[in-house]
Amino acid sequence: MAEIVFAAGVPHAPATVGLFEKAPDEARAVVAETFGAVGRALRAARPDVLIVFANDHLTNSRITAYPDFIIGMAERHAGPHEWFKEWIGCRDWALPGDPEVGRSLFRGLTRRGIRMNLEAGPLKFDDNLSVPTVLTDLDQAGIRVVPVLQNCTVPPFPDGARCLEVGRAVAAVIREDLPPGLRVGLLGSGGLSHEPGGARYYKIDEEFDRLFLERASQPDHAALLRDITIPRMEEAGIGGTAEVLSWFIVLGAIGERRGESFGYTGWPSFRCGIGGVVWEVG
Amino acid sequence: MAWDRYDPSLAAHDLVQDLKWDPALRAQFKQNEASVLDRYPHMRPEERQAIERRDFRALYDLGMHPYLGGQLSRFIWGNDAGRGAIEASNRLVASLQGHAGGIPDKP
Repeated sequence: MAEIVFAAGVPHAPATVGLFEKAPDEARAVVAETFGAVGRALRAARPDVLIVFANDHLTNSRITAYPDFIIGMAERHAGPHEWFKEWIGCRDWALPGDPEVGRSLFRGLTRRGIRMNLEAGPLKFDDNLSVPTVLTDLDQAGIRVVPVLQNCTVPPFPDGARCLEVGRAVAAVIREDLPPGLRVGLLGSGGLSHEPGGARYYKIDEEFDRLFLERASQPDHAALLRDITIPRMEEAGIGGTAEVLSWFIVLGAIGERRGESFGYTGWPSFRCGIGGVVWEVG
Repeated sequence: MAWDRYDPSLAAHDLVQDLKWDPALRAQFKQNEASVLDRYPHMRPEERQAIERRDFRALYDLGMHPYLGGQLSRFIWGNDAGRGAIEASNRLVASLQGHAGGIPDKP
C-alpha cells in the first residue's frame, strides 16, 4: 500500500514571478513565505512522486473538445510552453515524470467511474505548473511528477462535490493500486480569486479568499461545500477563481484534515489573491 | 459578465488557439492580420469586425471565453511579464468597461 506523505494547495498567478520585484514588501513576503513553506514541507516529506492537479487554461485542447482531466504520463515534463515564456518571465524548467504512476492513475480512476484522459506525449505547461515549480525549486528536488490537468474554466466543469469524489478515488488508487511503500505527494495548483481576461481583471475578492483559506484549513468538508460554491467562486472572479477546485481534489484524497496557511495578499497587480495551505497528513 | 452569453462555437476561439500554438502564424498576424482572419471562413462578420476594431466588449457579448479574450489582447498589445502584458490587460479592461483607461493600481 502506497501512502500520501504530503498535501498542499498553492496559487499559480504568473505575476508572482514577473512582477515580484515591483511588489510592495508585504506582498513579496507572503509569496516568499507561502512557497518557501510549501517547498520545505515537500522536501521534508520525501515523496517519491508528486501528483499535481492544475487548471489547463485552454493550453492543450480546443474549446470545442475540452476534457475535464488529462493525465500526463511522459518520461519528462518541461516548460513553460514557448508562448508563455515571456509572459511568466520565469526560467525554463524540467521535471522527471513517472509513466507507471500516470498509467496506474488513469486505469484506476477509470475503473472507479472517473472519466480521465491520458497523454503519453509532452503536454504544454503554462503558469499552472511553471509558477509552483520555480517558486518552490521543485525542479531541483529530484521528485518525479505526474501532472493532472483539470478543466476549471470551460463550462460546464466538475463542481466541488465531484472534485471531492475524484479526490476520494485518487486516494483509493494510491492505497490499493500503487506499489507498497511508494511515498506520494499531492499538490493542488490554482486560485485564489481572479478574473483573467474579464472586465474585473484587477478585482480581487479578499473576503472570498480569506473564507476559502479558512474553510480549506479546517477538517469540515460539509462547510467547505456549503460556503465555497461555484456561484460564489464566479462572484469572486469568473473563469479564474474556480481553479480552487484543484485543491478540492487534494482535500478529497486526504480526507478532513487541518491545514496551515502562511499569510495572504490581495495586491491588485498580482491580479489574483495569494495564499497557500499545507495539510497535516500521515 | 456571466456565462449566459458564452458561445464555444465562435471561430475566434480557434484563432487564439492557433496563434498560441504556431509562432509563424503569430508573426503573420502582426504583419498582415487580415490574411490570418481570412483563414477562418466560419468566422461571423460581426466577430471579425469586433477583432478588427479591438472591441472586446462586442466580442464578449458575442460569446468569447474571457480567458481566450485575454490571450487575444496579448497577441495584439504585448505579452511580456513586465510591460506588454500590463498594457494588454489595461486596454482589455478599458474596452470591456467602456472607457479609455484609468485602471487603478498599475505597477
